[in-house]
Amino acid sequence: MPQGSAEFGAFCPTLRPFPGAARYQMKGKLKFGLLGLVLIHLVVLGARVFAPYDPAEQHRDSPFAPPMRLHWVDARGHTHLRPFVYALVYHPESSAAVPYKEDRNRRLPVRFFVEKAIAGVEAQGAKHLRLFGVDPPGEIFLLGTDDFGRDQLSRLLYGGQVSLFAGLFAAALSLGLGVLLGSASGFYGSWLDAIIMRGAEIFMALPWIYLLFAVRAFLPLHVGARESFFLLVGVIGLTGWARPSRLVRGVVLSAKHREYVLAARSFGASNFYLLRRHILSETYGVVLTQAALLIPQYILAEVTFSFLGLGVSEPAPSWGNMLAALQKLSVLESYWWMFAAGLVLVPVFLFYHLVADALQQGA
Amino acid sequence: MNEQPLRQSEGQEPILRTVDLRKGYTRGRGWRGKRQHVQSLQGIDLQVRAGQSLALIGASGSGKSTLARCLAGLERPDSGELWIAGRNCGYSSHSREFTQVHLIFQDCGLSTNPRFTASEIVSEPLLISHWGTRAERTDRAINLMKTVGLPADAAGRRAGEFSGGQRRRLAVARALALEPRVLILDEALAGLDLSTQGQMANLLLEIQQARALTYLWISHDLSLVLRLASEIAVMDEGRIVESASVREWFAGPRSPQGQDLLQASRAWRSGAER
Amino acid sequence: MRYIAQRFAHAILVLLGVSVLTFLLLELAPGDYFAGMRLNPQISAQTVTRLRDAYGLNRSLPVTYLRWVGSVLRGDLGYSFAYNAPVWPLLKSRAGNTLILSLIALLASWFAAIPLGVWSAARRGGWLDGATSAGTTLLLALPDVLIALGLLAFALHTGWFPTGGMASIAAQEMGAAARVRDFVLHLALPATALAAGVLPILVRHVRSAMLDVLDSPHLRAARGHGIPRTRLLFRHALPAAANPLISLFGLSLGTLLSGSLLIEVVMSWPGLGPLLLQAILERDVYVVVAAVLLSALFLVAGNFIADVLLYVADPRIRVE
Repeated sequence: MPQGSAEFGAFCPTLRPFPGAARYQMKGKLKFGLLGLVLIHLVVLGARVFAPYDPAEQHRDSPFAPPMRLHWVDARGHTHLRPFVYALVYHPESSAAVPYKEDRNRRLPVRFFVEKAIAGVEAQGAKHLRLFGVDPPGEIFLLGTDDFGRDQLSRLLYGGQVSLFAGLFAAALSLGLGVLLGSASGFYGSWLDAIIMRGAEIFMALPWIYLLFAVRAFLPLHVGARESFFLLVGVIGLTGWARPSRLVRGVVLSAKHREYVLAARSFGASNFYLLRRHILSETYGVVLTQAALLIPQYILAEVTFSFLGLGVSEPAPSWGNMLAALQKLSVLESYWWMFAAGLVLVPVFLFYHLVADALQQGA
Repeated sequence: MNEQPLRQSEGQEPILRTVDLRKGYTRGRGWRGKRQHVQSLQGIDLQVRAGQSLALIGASGSGKSTLARCLAGLERPDSGELWIAGRNCGYSSHSREFTQVHLIFQDCGLSTNPRFTASEIVSEPLLISHWGTRAERTDRAINLMKTVGLPADAAGRRAGEFSGGQRRRLAVARALALEPRVLILDEALAGLDLSTQGQMANLLLEIQQARALTYLWISHDLSLVLRLASEIAVMDEGRIVESASVREWFAGPRSPQGQDLLQASRAWRSGAER
Repeated sequence: MRYIAQRFAHAILVLLGVSVLTFLLLELAPGDYFAGMRLNPQISAQTVTRLRDAYGLNRSLPVTYLRWVGSVLRGDLGYSFAYNAPVWPLLKSRAGNTLILSLIALLASWFAAIPLGVWSAARRGGWLDGATSAGTTLLLALPDVLIALGLLAFALHTGWFPTGGMASIAAQEMGAAARVRDFVLHLALPATALAAGVLPILVRHVRSAMLDVLDSPHLRAARGHGIPRTRLLFRHALPAAANPLISLFGLSLGTLLSGSLLIEVVMSWPGLGPLLLQAILERDVYVVVAAVLLSALFLVAGNFIADVLLYVADPRIRVE
């Protein structure tokens, strides 16, 4: 999926469904997609529990450790009910691309629901419950580590909080703005309509990512993780209002002349009442479909920004700045597990597309 | 041209009165397209007494619907006066007086929001005018639904689930909610099958009797007009060209437009009977 | 012709609007470049004042805007502080490279999308249709970062393709044929990555437009006349389905331009992307503004071309 594809993917709302995507399957697709999304978001939100480490916790002695394999059968052929990993031994002097070897003598059983201290000085030894872990001093890296020896799985989970919700919030922002401007434009018409729609045209005359970059260029570069998150959400959300507002305007324009709106007006209904009770409810379909198209697009925008170093700043993880490690050819060549942050986008996008498809067919 | 005003009963202010009402539309788009000015109403003088049943007829495009919309406050006339129950409504389209006049639309199927339930539709005018509590409004809506012959247990059903005839009943019930004194029925019986049409007509007449309503029928169907209205006004090109009692008119319209209409209707009927 | 003139006027208006937008961004940005210059002890206060005057920064907003537009029209897009050179020459070759990449990707994706879409529409429900469905769904879910990185990793592992740039260092000494081959090899991966992003969307739209046409009465009549299948599809159905596709052409160009920015950075294609990124990181505002303006120009031009194509393809517009 390329940048700016939502605009052009939504170009033709009555796209013919593929075979096996018949209308009766719509509900199923919708349910499946939503279920997948809810699950992913729940797991990401529960990162504090699901992640074995804190996202910034460094293990300097094991940079770029490969993902550990879960075993049930040990070197001597004994089967264990409790899965375990072998400790990894680092051979910095080795010439292999990945200088790690499993130490078959150090079996680290995976413990579930462990209390583990929170890393960092401020934490002052506070502990909280984690889904799994191994007995210290052993370490478990199911998705490997990055150059600082930070656990990829933990970063992936915490990074999801940033990336997924940046997309969600930005979409909420631009849809909110789109509904506001689009309905004002469609409902009140005349000069307001002219101004808003010309504005939308100008925003749409720029290739979307150039627009994003242009706005980003004039904002401060080096800000804290939290500020950069909101900065990104703001930039993405505020530049994306044009298309949704045009679609909402179209719906409002047709809804405004419905006879039941006229009827309500003849009873003395105020404009606010008409918009709230009759007209905005007509836009739900468009808004939901746009949401399903825009959210993945905006997640990708965050990833792109952070990947290029313009987004969420280290040490806070985001899927984008995790992928940024791959900009080094040496990393790209040897450490395939660094792709994880990109691969995890695929199911997210698939689920969103399912939902969008179902909504479009239902519309 | 016959500018004779409608028969006025002595000492009684007409419930609807217009003086030289004018309304035009501008067609054409933007700064490039050619603008076109269409004059829909070219000076309407009309008086309707309370309790009267007046039929407004005329060829399509003669300005009937525009007049209806102006009378109901849906559109603002360009000039002229509009008096409702002795009060000048001026140019403000949100005047309280307009709650006394209600327009029932050509197609009631479209005039009810399909997402709303029946009681929501009927109680909508009450909600808009901040009348009572929610429970009181629902109660009243159910009463109104009974008045128009809809079962009370239909209150929770969505408008989309009702048949065409039932939706018209809903629209009538809603129109009665604010106890208006005038109902404007714009082709209110068109597009129904004959038996439903008969039922609706009887219902409307009953309601008129019971509530002492004034009806303004807008229709193409002259046979219905004969049955339902007592007075008739013929419109052509934004003017009222003739007004008379129904009986007089059917005996012999004076205006050429009226003669055309009657002839066309008779020719059609005799053609159909042949 | 009136239609084309209208569309042209519209395009110009939109470009003017874009220029206002970028200008406002430039003006409203907290602290202009010269404020930073003041802090630099090597530049005297007089120099800063002179420069501010030269760029008209001391005047009111509309006057500054008009001066700026005037200088842009003269080809003076400002000065790159990072490169210490005027912006336009810097941008010119980069813009050309971006355009080459985007246009090649545009052609490639359309040439792949049309037969795929037409055939999957013609054999609705067949295996090809199913495969297209699955393929486009998967491609649509692959973020373009991942496609680009994956292709780059592929190039690294196989060594079949160069891993960046537009030409080998030794390109100067090569013969013409070898140089072309070298260029094509360098182009292959970025263009593939770029085309892969828009391909699924194009295929779906081609298929959908074709299905609409194939279901129409005149096509059924044509089938009844016994016109051979391929001729029917490509000579009768495809032109009839062209209208929505031509509109899509302009939109796809926008998406490609957006997409190329990232892919250029990942694959070190010397286009606008890396330049823009660097300019943002170094706060080189005039380069940013110029690059954004250029991208808008490309897109508006693309949409205008689509309008003209539509005019040529659809007689109904000519009548109106």
